[in-house]
Amino acid sequence: MSLKISKLCQALVLALLALALAGCTQWRYDLGDHLTHVNLDKLQQGMPLSEVLNIFGPPQRISASPSGYLLAWEHWQVDEDSLGIRLGALGADILSLDWGKARIRGEFLLVTFDREHHLSGSTVSEWDNLAGGGQGIQPFIGVVSMVDIDDLVRSLPQHTWGATSLQELPRALNTQSSPLSGQSGMEQRGTPPSIGQKSLELR
Amino acid sequence: MKIQIRPVIVAALCAMLLSGCVQYDSKRGVEVKWQSVITEQLQKGTSTRGEVLALLGPPSQIISLDEETVLYYLFERTKGNGYILILYNRFTVDARYDRAVFFFDDNDILRDYSTHIHEPEDK
Repeated sequence: MSLKISKLCQALVLALLALALAGCTQWRYDLGDHLTHVNLDKLQQGMPLSEVLNIFGPPQRISASPSGYLLAWEHWQVDEDSLGIRLGALGADILSLDWGKARIRGEFLLVTFDREHHLSGSTVSEWDNLAGGGQGIQPFIGVVSMVDIDDLVRSLPQHTWGATSLQELPRALNTQSSPLSGQSGMEQRGTPPSIGQKSLELR
Repeated sequence: MKIQIRPVIVAALCAMLLSGCVQYDSKRGVEVKWQSVITEQLQKGTSTRGEVLALLGPPSQIISLDEETVLYYLFERTKGNGYILILYNRFTVDARYDRAVFFFDDNDILRDYSTHIHEPEDK
């Protein structure tokens, strides 16, 4: 009888230990306000800029273009889930088993205006899909994050507008073509850093 | 085999002590001065860029299209909270954008503008 109890205690301790070594972490990001479908239906060719601003308010992104202006409104929801088992709690940082994934949902409305401030085009996209993930066994030190969403949740570029010429040389030299300057188009969150107008920035 | 119960209790207590909750907020951008009482002083077709700058201060971004200019003001407020239970951790981050945009013609006269200040849902 006492043998059975001691085995039960042993199993209990092992179960507690296993639980103490495992952990689940969830991050939930909500960036901006929803764009309602009713508002999207109101957009019409030739509509004055003032009317569009009355419907949607100020845009989150804006840029001049050779033919007028580009205005964009966006809403992003990013969910990041990760699960890991580490031996760190036992004082031995030699093994970690990790799993992670990220899901993104969002809306992006781009409206273009001609030089007379009349709507010349609009497009909207909505998405709900996996943004990536991974799993890994890292035997000695955990050096790789299973999910990377930093480029999706960073601040809007307007905050760094005044410092664009203070960046490292390849980026500073490309300021006039950068989609972050407000003079040469715009880009969405998560756009790869070395394509299009930013390819000269050598990143 | 005799199991020592004291280390298990100590471990459980340690786990409880390590758990916690966090709350934080981050504010970036220019001071929000585009409340309706201030923007009521602006008139499309008559107000000048100088008047807007005098009322709201330097903008976050200036955009030019030939002789036209656009002043863009942005204040980004990020609020986050989370709980850390060692086995299960959850964090939520909400970012909201207070913003204002002003379009001026080639004579620096206000042509269009729009403002937005986010109202918290629990108000």
